[in-house]
Amino acid sequence: MKGVLAIVRVTLRQLLGGKRLIVLGLLGLLPAVVIWLTTANRSASAAFQDYNEIAIVILFLIVLPLTALVLGSAALGDERRDGTLSFLLVRPRPRSAITGAKLLAAWIAAAGVTAASGAAASTALSIRTSDWSTLVPTIVGTALAAACYAAVFMVLGHLTSRAVLIGLVYVFIWESGISMAAPSLANVSLFRIGLTAYAGLLPESTRFLSEPLGSLAPGVGGALAKTLGIGLVAVLTAASLLKRRDTT
Amino acid sequence: MTTTPAFAPEPTVVVDRVSKWFGQKVAVSDLSCSFGPGLTGLLGPNGAGKTTLLRVIAGLLRPSDGSISLLGADPRRNPSIYRSVGLVPEEDAVYGFLTARQFVRYATRLSGEGTANVDDAIHAVDLDDAADRPLSGFSKGMRQRAKVAAALVTDPDVLLLDEPLNGTDPMQRAKLIASFRTLAEERTVIVSSHVLAEVERMADRVLAVVDGKLAAAGDVAAIRHAMSDIPYRVRVESEAPRRIAGPLMASDEVTSVSVSGSVLHIETTDLGSLGTIVPRVARDIDVRVTGFEPEDESLESVFRYLVRRR
Repeated sequence: MKGVLAIVRVTLRQLLGGKRLIVLGLLGLLPAVVIWLTTANRSASAAFQDYNEIAIVILFLIVLPLTALVLGSAALGDERRDGTLSFLLVRPRPRSAITGAKLLAAWIAAAGVTAASGAAASTALSIRTSDWSTLVPTIVGTALAAACYAAVFMVLGHLTSRAVLIGLVYVFIWESGISMAAPSLANVSLFRIGLTAYAGLLPESTRFLSEPLGSLAPGVGGALAKTLGIGLVAVLTAASLLKRRDTT
Repeated sequence: MTTTPAFAPEPTVVVDRVSKWFGQKVAVSDLSCSFGPGLTGLLGPNGAGKTTLLRVIAGLLRPSDGSISLLGADPRRNPSIYRSVGLVPEEDAVYGFLTARQFVRYATRLSGEGTANVDDAIHAVDLDDAADRPLSGFSKGMRQRAKVAAALVTDPDVLLLDEPLNGTDPMQRAKLIASFRTLAEERTVIVSSHVLAEVERMADRVLAVVDGKLAAAGDVAAIRHAMSDIPYRVRVESEAPRRIAGPLMASDEVTSVSVSGSVLHIETTDLGSLGTIVPRVARDIDVRVTGFEPEDESLESVFRYLVRRR
């Protein structure tokens, strides 16, 4: 367990060091700034609508996938790029323990940044409306979606040095384009897992989120189960890749 | 297990007909050898396949053909053996944001060991004064020593060191070599290097690798002996090269002589003797020699010759 925690600690420093945290932090302020500007002189119900139609969409479709893409793909990708992967692999640790620790670190980092972003947006709304009901659902929703993205992008980051480019295509072509145009494809969209959790915890938001939710029913339980499933598959897939692939 | 120069009598690491290729490039070709307690030098020019071989042994690369036994197990199937293995990779693979002490401590935590040996390991590589500085500010030699400390700290039975002296200054080099020799008294230590003199100072046993093949194996004296009858080409500059060429042709140590302008190209099997013959001949016929230098004395060419001869 100490070894796993050591990997998590070092990976967190690796992921959040340098300018990365500053850039992601600035990106994370976007939903809060937008909702603060758009809700000035609006009624509470109109502000709530703006929050769901604008801030939540920016948070789940831009801030969250970009943040998780950068941090998730770097979890193993940075080790491969810097040549430190061999340092990790010549240790008496099951490969799944290494990938599990890596995913945990990527999730903590991504969820930390995006949940803070969501909390800032929710706080901005709450200051305007004195209604704090969006805070917990926003944090839970972003945390779950961050875990899903981090899991998928961690594997991608190990597979290719072009993970960010491929991830951007996935996020902006598939998630924001094709799957939005075809609601039947909502099931294979990662941000919607977090969004169903958000909507499940805040039922009054669903009337403003019918388009992004597509055919999915709001609910936290299903979102949590999907997140755990995706995380488990990612950990085992990455572990298998570490066993089978050469570490150059 | 066969006991020939390529095979150790009590092997802890066995390389059995291992080949490794990357696409069309063959990095290691049908190589068999073994390593036991003591310090074995893996010698060869850059690009010879030493790093690939060490990484295959360490389980970081899967052999394209053949098999590896590291402490009786396949490292790719049984990570638990890494409790007894230390690796110092050639590349600058360190976490720049960690201090040397944190880096070494990280190695112990990953190996499930206590941190009691951290200070000793840092002391062994002479990094006490810099132990709490970030590795990003270290010179190449200091980073190299930090990697060595991280490999030593778990007290491994098998230590794989890929060009561990790169970037170190002569004093650090001497200290590291002494450390490796001490460690090798009870452990299997494999050190790769492209510098013959370096290996000569460290290793009792040497495996010479070139073009992914085993070129020579044995103790340092045997390798030196194997090299002794290699023809060397020497370039001699003189004001009257044709006059020197005649007497030199009569010498047993000279295999061939050719003249090109003011330069003599001499092929010899005894470089040392030629160094005395040429001045003597020049003095006898009263001709001035203005230059004398080996044309082709690189380790690479020597090893290529050994491979061709096998």
